[in-house]
Amino acid sequence: MKHLILIVTLLITSIVATAQTKYEQGMYKALDLWKTNPIEASQLFERIAKAEPDNWLPPYYAAETLILDGFSKMQDADALKAQLDQAQNFLNDATAISKDNPEIMVMQAILYTVYVASDGATYGMTLSGKVMALYAQAEKLAPNNPRVVLNKADWNIGGARYFGTDIKPFCKEVERALELFATFKPETEFHPNWGRERAQEIIASCK
Amino acid sequence: MKNVILVFSFLCSLSLSAQTISGIVTDAKNNPIVQANVYLEGTYDGGTTNAKGAFSFKTEETGTQNLLVSFVGFETYTMLGDISYMKDLKIQLREDVNSLDTVILSAGTFSAGDNSKVNALKPLDVVTTASALGDFVGALQTLPGTTTVAEDGRLFVRGGEAEETQIFIDGIKVFTPYSPTTNNTPTRGRYSPFLFDGITFSTGGYSAEYGQALSSVLLLNTTGEPDQEKTDIGIMTLGGSLGNTQKWKNNSLSVNASYINLAPYNAVFKSRNDWKKPAEFASGEAVFRQKINNGMLKLYTAFEATNFELTQEDINASEGVHFKLKNNNLYFNGSYKGMLSDSWTLETGMSYTLANDKINIDAADIKDTENSFHGKVKLKHRFNNRFKLNFGAEYLATNFNENYQDTFTPKVAYGFNNNISAAFTEADIFFSRKLALKAGLRIEHSVLFDEVTLSPRVSMAYKTSDKSQVSLAYGDFYQNPNSSILKFEQDLQAQQTSHYILNYQYNGKKQLFRAEAYYKDYDQLVKYDSDFASFDSNYNNKGYGFAKGIDLFWRDSNSIKNVDYWVSYSFLDSERNYQNYSKSAQPNFANTHNLSVVGKYWIDKWKSQVGMSYSLASGRTYTNPNTTGFLDQKTKAYNSLSLNWAYLISPQKILYLSVNNALGFKNVNGYQFANTPDINGNFASRSLRPATDQFFFVGFFWTISEKGNDNQLNNL
Repeated sequence: MKHLILIVTLLITSIVATAQTKYEQGMYKALDLWKTNPIEASQLFERIAKAEPDNWLPPYYAAETLILDGFSKMQDADALKAQLDQAQNFLNDATAISKDNPEIMVMQAILYTVYVASDGATYGMTLSGKVMALYAQAEKLAPNNPRVVLNKADWNIGGARYFGTDIKPFCKEVERALELFATFKPETEFHPNWGRERAQEIIASCK
Repeated sequence: MKNVILVFSFLCSLSLSAQTISGIVTDAKNNPIVQANVYLEGTYDGGTTNAKGAFSFKTEETGTQNLLVSFVGFETYTMLGDISYMKDLKIQLREDVNSLDTVILSAGTFSAGDNSKVNALKPLDVVTTASALGDFVGALQTLPGTTTVAEDGRLFVRGGEAEETQIFIDGIKVFTPYSPTTNNTPTRGRYSPFLFDGITFSTGGYSAEYGQALSSVLLLNTTGEPDQEKTDIGIMTLGGSLGNTQKWKNNSLSVNASYINLAPYNAVFKSRNDWKKPAEFASGEAVFRQKINNGMLKLYTAFEATNFELTQEDINASEGVHFKLKNNNLYFNGSYKGMLSDSWTLETGMSYTLANDKINIDAADIKDTENSFHGKVKLKHRFNNRFKLNFGAEYLATNFNENYQDTFTPKVAYGFNNNISAAFTEADIFFSRKLALKAGLRIEHSVLFDEVTLSPRVSMAYKTSDKSQVSLAYGDFYQNPNSSILKFEQDLQAQQTSHYILNYQYNGKKQLFRAEAYYKDYDQLVKYDSDFASFDSNYNNKGYGFAKGIDLFWRDSNSIKNVDYWVSYSFLDSERNYQNYSKSAQPNFANTHNLSVVGKYWIDKWKSQVGMSYSLASGRTYTNPNTTGFLDQKTKAYNSLSLNWAYLISPQKILYLSVNNALGFKNVNGYQFANTPDINGNFASRSLRPATDQFFFVGFFWTISEKGNDNQLNNL
């Protein structure tokens, strides 16, 4: 009998535990799916977003998966625009849940960067100013967020390389971002925590 | 114990009672849709369709649930039902007519914006087209449907006069869009190209929203919120400009001032004009933008003062003709656009123009004042993605007064009021992604003529393949005669034209081909019986005419690396019998062949863009009094090759050089003949040549922003 009670309590607690971590399970599964199939991952993030209407992270990831995948679709302007339009909708949802969020601003800037990289003549005029304004705004809100520091510097290095001006000040910013990564603690394990590898890559290319 | 087992098995059943939801997703033609997202609303449970369009996923949910199926380019499908019935479903998605590959109502229309699909021009083409010299009108003249009238500079579209093209800023009319110039120098649009992020140029068959334009409308949309605060400095061979933008939480203000003086230029380069006071332009612009709830209010004001004085060569005056002009032009435009609800949009605005001219031609002294007002309200209701309805009303008022005086004529004053009220409605219907129809009706009442006109407008488009479509358009258009007639005679009627357009469009990968054939039927054109329109002329509306032709356009930025080029060709056959014409003839502004080639080459290593544009226009008609014919002689063809070079010194600094007519073609715009024959009975003649054969321009532009990171890339 004692054993049975134990089993039952265990079962109940395990069910309660699963209920608590349904979100976590979904997020883990989506993050895992991302490695093999970004579109399916985005769809799972979208489902989680619909089920968790007060959490900005699922729509943020639903957008991020599509945006980063966009870099591989730059040759097909129509497919890219369709995909980025969808990503923009997710970012709008995320912004509506969490206003003045520097992480979402960085993601928005990257979305614009994909457009500019795919067709500078069409999008450069309207979007490059917006990218810089977003980084400026994000920096005001979170001057020590490593992703803000990193991505702003990354954008500026691109410009400086192009014009043959000195990239050193921006490389220093990337080094600062790397230091900030060392101490950065995301609020939960699902909050954005990416960028360290990119920072190391850039520093290697700075030398 | 039994109870315990019961509880246990109950608990187990809770976690094991998962049901499978399965089915197949297809489009209307039963083709499988791959990677559609299928899920139960509000749950984590769902799946993605495979290569056969099939899906299958497990859920622990029970009872009535909402199943959603979504895929880009299709309307989201919803099915409310009990989970136990959600097995082996066959779901057909309906195509979303809002998606990118939907047919476009494109007959007659060229637009510039960031939608690569429909756009013949990109926003920055205005500043990077060699012959345009930063003038949006100049850039549009490289598109088919326009004719080259080199000494004028305005838009002449498909056999129409320049006044038949009307310009709108944010949907509101611009009454005096061009800066005044001498009669041998092309004019420019008054407004800075950097103010606009969308340009739509329609060469015919346009929407019922626009009236009082017989041939064409040019729609300019001002930019939205600026991205950041900045100061712009421009130093040019002709003058300078200074701009500043301030931004607050929900509003922003941009001001811009510029001063242009041609004196130094005329001192260096020889002009055919004998200047007493070279042309001088001073202008200021301000744009204020305020975000209000779900909309945006824009207030735009521009002021320009122009003056010049010169003596121009004339075959009938050995000393030349003395000409002096002072022009002040004030334009105010306020507009609001916003969402009233999910399905209702409101657009409203008004403009006010005050234009003053003081002109002296030898002993004649002419002063005129134009006061014009335009107010408009438009509502748009979206019933669903497939059916949208627009309707609205507008009022246009012009008050024009002129004083004339010369040595023989005592001061006379005359003028007119031209007030027009109008209402319009238009429906956009998408039958499918392949077939769309736009049908509208416009009714206008002219107070001056006490005349009511009714203009139906229809256009439809059908997609013939993934990349191509055909469109048809028909419309009736009315326009009151312009001020040069109305100031002398008001007992007239509106002039009328009908457009018939057939359009084919092909969109390849960064390639666009358009072919358009059209026929225009002009009626009720104004005729008079004297050499010039004057007080004592007799006027009637018995003029008529036609224009027909073919316009071809090809743009390709894909085939050759770093090269973007376009070719436009227009064939025009037009005759009219109007004004003081003795018979039907080809007007001198409507030449038969126009060819334009524009190329741009980006040299990455030099951070430079080099560009060329070449235009070729066949000869224009003129009447030679030494022969018996009327408008039966033709000038030689017009040729011009322009080159430009834009060099990005740094992200904030750009150096710009350009030369118009680099090869120095000696172009002749027409001939002027003596009023009286010489002793041999010959009328002497003089060729009408541009003020200068070539034009050079050097400019340096510098943007300073707070953080030093806004840049001239935006302007290149």
